[in-house]
Amino acid sequence: MSSFSRRAVTAGALASLLTACAGHGTTPPRPRTTASPVPADRGRSLVRSAPVRLLIPAIGVDTPVIRLGLASDGTVQVPPVTAHDRAGWYRHSPTPGEAGPSVLLGHVTVGPYGDGVFRHLARLHRGERITARLENGTAAEFAVTAVRTVPRTDFPADDVYGDVDRPELRLITCGGARTGDGYADNVIVFAALSGAKSPTPGER
Amino acid sequence: MRRTVLSALALAGTAVLMGTGPAFADGAAAPSPVPASAAPTTQPEKSAEPTRAAEPAPAPASAEPTRAPADGQVSVVPSGAPDTGVASSPASGNDGAAIGAGAAAVLALGGGTVFVVRRRRATGA
Repeated sequence: MSSFSRRAVTAGALASLLTACAGHGTTPPRPRTTASPVPADRGRSLVRSAPVRLLIPAIGVDTPVIRLGLASDGTVQVPPVTAHDRAGWYRHSPTPGEAGPSVLLGHVTVGPYGDGVFRHLARLHRGERITARLENGTAAEFAVTAVRTVPRTDFPADDVYGDVDRPELRLITCGGARTGDGYADNVIVFAALSGAKSPTPGER
Repeated sequence: MRRTVLSALALAGTAVLMGTGPAFADGAAAPSPVPASAAPTTQPEKSAEPTRAAEPAPAPASAEPTRAPADGQVSVVPSGAPDTGVASSPASGNDGAAIGAGAAAVLALGGGTVFVVRRRRATGA
């Protein structure tokens, strides 16, 4: 009897240890790299007006857009980690529709709150539509030209922030394998202006 | 002898519970890693160029290497890579596992203690 109880207790302790060890090491599947250079239509530029909303129907994104600047360490600010995650526009970049790369950022996950607004950004494909509604009531329409997944240690700053001679869009989030409380890669969507919509009453 | 067994059990249970403690703390502290400590180390953009050039890069042709702060273009280029992911969503699962483990350890300890006490009473020890 005594040996039985001892065995039972030992088995219980072992089971609890095994349970504690289970569940670690779950990593999400690595987003594919879809890099396909596309010469998108060279659209005319729009006047400068900050984005207030971003819509990406293919992945169900419809989010307000906040303004972001630089953090104290010189990196770009990112949207706050909240339950209602939003995208952010880097205010030192052109507004969507202006000539140049307009940069918008969003989280892939927001810690305890789950999925971020750009959770499925890596699923976008060439040609899919992105709409940025602007403060002045117009909307800039973009078409995806490429989706790239790059290591964060090898971030292609020139490709993202470098000058271009037409209105383009850069959507940035994180992706790839998880490293501690972050991610190893960045997912970057490149898009080019494909059209513009004039203001629609009540549509903001 | 019995005391030795009991002490060993108590030690094992305490170790399991202490192991689960930091897991909870990690989960609670998860929202704050935004000021990326990793970001500054990702600065070497120049050394990154050659390796990227070999890739099927879509835009290097349009992204001119001469990046003077022109009108309408990016006026201040941030350093490093954006830290746009706080990956503690699986932590909820780990929290569940930790809670389960803690509960199992407490149950095992309690059961063992009850067993031993009852047996000691029965034998009159």
